[in-house]
Amino acid sequence: MIRHCKTVAIFALLALTAAAASALNVSVAQIDSSGLLLQQRVNAYVSVTDDQGEPVTNLPQQAFSISESPDGEHYTKLPVLGFEPRAGANEGITFLLMIDNSGSMYDAPDATPTTDPARMKVTHAKAAIRAFLASMTNPKDRVGLVVFNTRYRLLARPTADRERIASLLDQITKPVPDEAYTELYASLKQGSQEFAGISGRKAIIVLSDGENFPYFTHSGKPHPEYGRRIFSHTESITANQEEGVTVYGIDFGVGEVMDKNLRTIAQETGGKTFEAARGEDLSGVYAAIHRQVAGEYLVGYRATTTPAEKKYVQVTANDQGKESTSTRFYFSSVVFGLPLPRLSPVLVIPFILGFALLWLLTLLKLERRPGPASLEVLQTRVGHPMTRMLPLSGSKTVIGGSRSADLTIAGAPQLKQEHATILFDPKDKSYTVVGSGEITVNNQPVKTRKLEPGDVIDVGGATIVFDDSKDKKKQKK
Amino acid sequence: MTTATSRLIILGLGFLGGIAAWPAAELVLYFQGSFPSYLAFLALLGAVVGALMGAFFGAAEGITSRIKMRIPPGLLLGALVGCIGGAAGALVGQAALWLIGGIFLLSYRDMQWVVLPVSRAIGWAVLGVFVGAGEGVRALSPKKIAVGVLGGFLGGIVGGFALEYSRLLLPGFAFFRLVGLVILGLAIGFFYGLIEQGMSLGILRILAGELKGKEFLLTEKRVRIGRSPRNEIALPAYEDLADLQADIRVRKGEPVITNLQPRLPMLINEEKVQEKKLKLGDVIKIGSARIFYKFG
Repeated sequence: MIRHCKTVAIFALLALTAAAASALNVSVAQIDSSGLLLQQRVNAYVSVTDDQGEPVTNLPQQAFSISESPDGEHYTKLPVLGFEPRAGANEGITFLLMIDNSGSMYDAPDATPTTDPARMKVTHAKAAIRAFLASMTNPKDRVGLVVFNTRYRLLARPTADRERIASLLDQITKPVPDEAYTELYASLKQGSQEFAGISGRKAIIVLSDGENFPYFTHSGKPHPEYGRRIFSHTESITANQEEGVTVYGIDFGVGEVMDKNLRTIAQETGGKTFEAARGEDLSGVYAAIHRQVAGEYLVGYRATTTPAEKKYVQVTANDQGKESTSTRFYFSSVVFGLPLPRLSPVLVIPFILGFALLWLLTLLKLERRPGPASLEVLQTRVGHPMTRMLPLSGSKTVIGGSRSADLTIAGAPQLKQEHATILFDPKDKSYTVVGSGEITVNNQPVKTRKLEPGDVIDVGGATIVFDDSKDKKKQKK
Repeated sequence: MTTATSRLIILGLGFLGGIAAWPAAELVLYFQGSFPSYLAFLALLGAVVGALMGAFFGAAEGITSRIKMRIPPGLLLGALVGCIGGAAGALVGQAALWLIGGIFLLSYRDMQWVVLPVSRAIGWAVLGVFVGAGEGVRALSPKKIAVGVLGGFLGGIVGGFALEYSRLLLPGFAFFRLVGLVILGLAIGFFYGLIEQGMSLGILRILAGELKGKEFLLTEKRVRIGRSPRNEIALPAYEDLADLQADIRVRKGEPVITNLQPRLPMLINEEKVQEKKLKLGDVIKIGSARIFYKFG
């Protein structure tokens, strides 16, 4: 019995030593900031793996700590408000499977040409994807399908109907030479947009057997859709980072070089690249990716309100003294833009200026001052006046259609050449209107009438106001 | 001043409101990180912008009517109503964001280019509604409130879009918020003037004397005329008329003028009348004042 206990103790000690020796690898795979503006909530999907790259899925919430920084230098530690182990497995994952359908995919995995469909890389790829689809058991998982070569072709948006995806694989056929280029970067950028309307864990698994091989660069002809535009790998990184999509890359086959930037694209979006030299390896790679994503932890927190274009999230996992930290940024939606780098006292100027001009406005006298005797044309029903305002100076002022009239209303046929005359009487300094045609004063037909300030004379449809305020004031004095 | 000048002044006040609101908005934005939540930050931002815009628009009536005693209360009440409107706008904008974003759950780019500007513009429209309605609240005039609500809403939504898109369309331009706020102020002023004119039954123009050339829009259900500055058409410098001499009421969509002081006569087109339905082109004579009723 004692010997048995000793054996158990030795085994336990060995196990602990082994555990202490094995490292913990933490990686923030994806940041879901879709709840940022609504609930100020940010969720980080954190993958924890052991030395063998196998997911560690039994850590408690206390093992995680989270910090956020607007600049990547100054971090604020924040309480963990949401925690879910195996979040991908529980909540479901949305995968977009992207398959390279360039000409070389119709060679064998060892890069030799073949006419035997069973040996072709594309056949292995289809088989691996069928196996991958069959292995998915969570009804919340969704899969979309894209093939790309010269063109990007969406076969299905992410759907829970995996049988449909499997059946769509049959639609992948060998491309004609002009269609056989590899627009890898453009396609990865476009792929990021297929997740619209989907929240939660999102990932692209791109299978390719070669490097980005743009149509325009290598054929010399403008691309049927992109024209002369060449996409860079950074564009595909940014697009996927913005949408919170992780890219996993599978480099399939030997003999051809993996795209030099695919590893960077994967790393920058929280993913990884895997190699599958033989067709038989492919299923294992898809299964490993699924296992890893399904085993991630969801760690949620309430974001700080500090404005920044990007915010850095640092997650640390601590398991019995072993500690590992990973940082990833997300694009924070900046409401109302970034603040000024510093507040300047000069800012007071527009504030004061605004109120000073308001005060000046209150002092403005915008009314016309009562002036010498004048006629003002308010409106015309027919024709147009040559002058709007006419000071009355002489002893006789003629209003009419004639160009020689003092106040000419042009283009009014019913108006006589000299329709009305205003006469000045120097004795009592008064003005009298005399009509040779039909006129009204204050809407009353008259032939002749002594005018008072504010009288409205209608001369053949022209409304003319007489004013003589200054003289009236003088008279009063 | 003519109604066109009044509209220009309101436009100018919107411009000045935008200029004055800008440093205040920058100040709030600078301390964004100290706010406990986005909502608190947005509410204060809206309240500050609304208070300043409201104050400037609140002063409009006092300036255009040339009755200075209306300026301080208009300014203060405008600031208060605008402040409430700005904060309410922040809440409504956030609710719109929650609804649109929650229902459609769009991509980051759609969120940045469509959902966020649209929902925030709705918020600015609410601010515009309150800022526009400020004068109506001061005058206790339902018709003026209606003008302000509609004009402020249109101005707020147009200006709000300009403000939100200025961020996206002028990246790296340090004064984009100044441009956006000025456009917001101008838009509220423009649409207020447009709606006020559109909802009016015509213009009353003073023909001679101290207020010669001044025009009053016939917008409200009841317009009072007399020497008292409380009247909508206040004619303190004119003789032979009472503090409240006459009023114009809208009956079945048509303006009817009534002389309220029978001992002081009112003449319309040279005829002494007690009450008359006004026709375009009528010349009203009360005391030493002549008023011309014309198309708005």
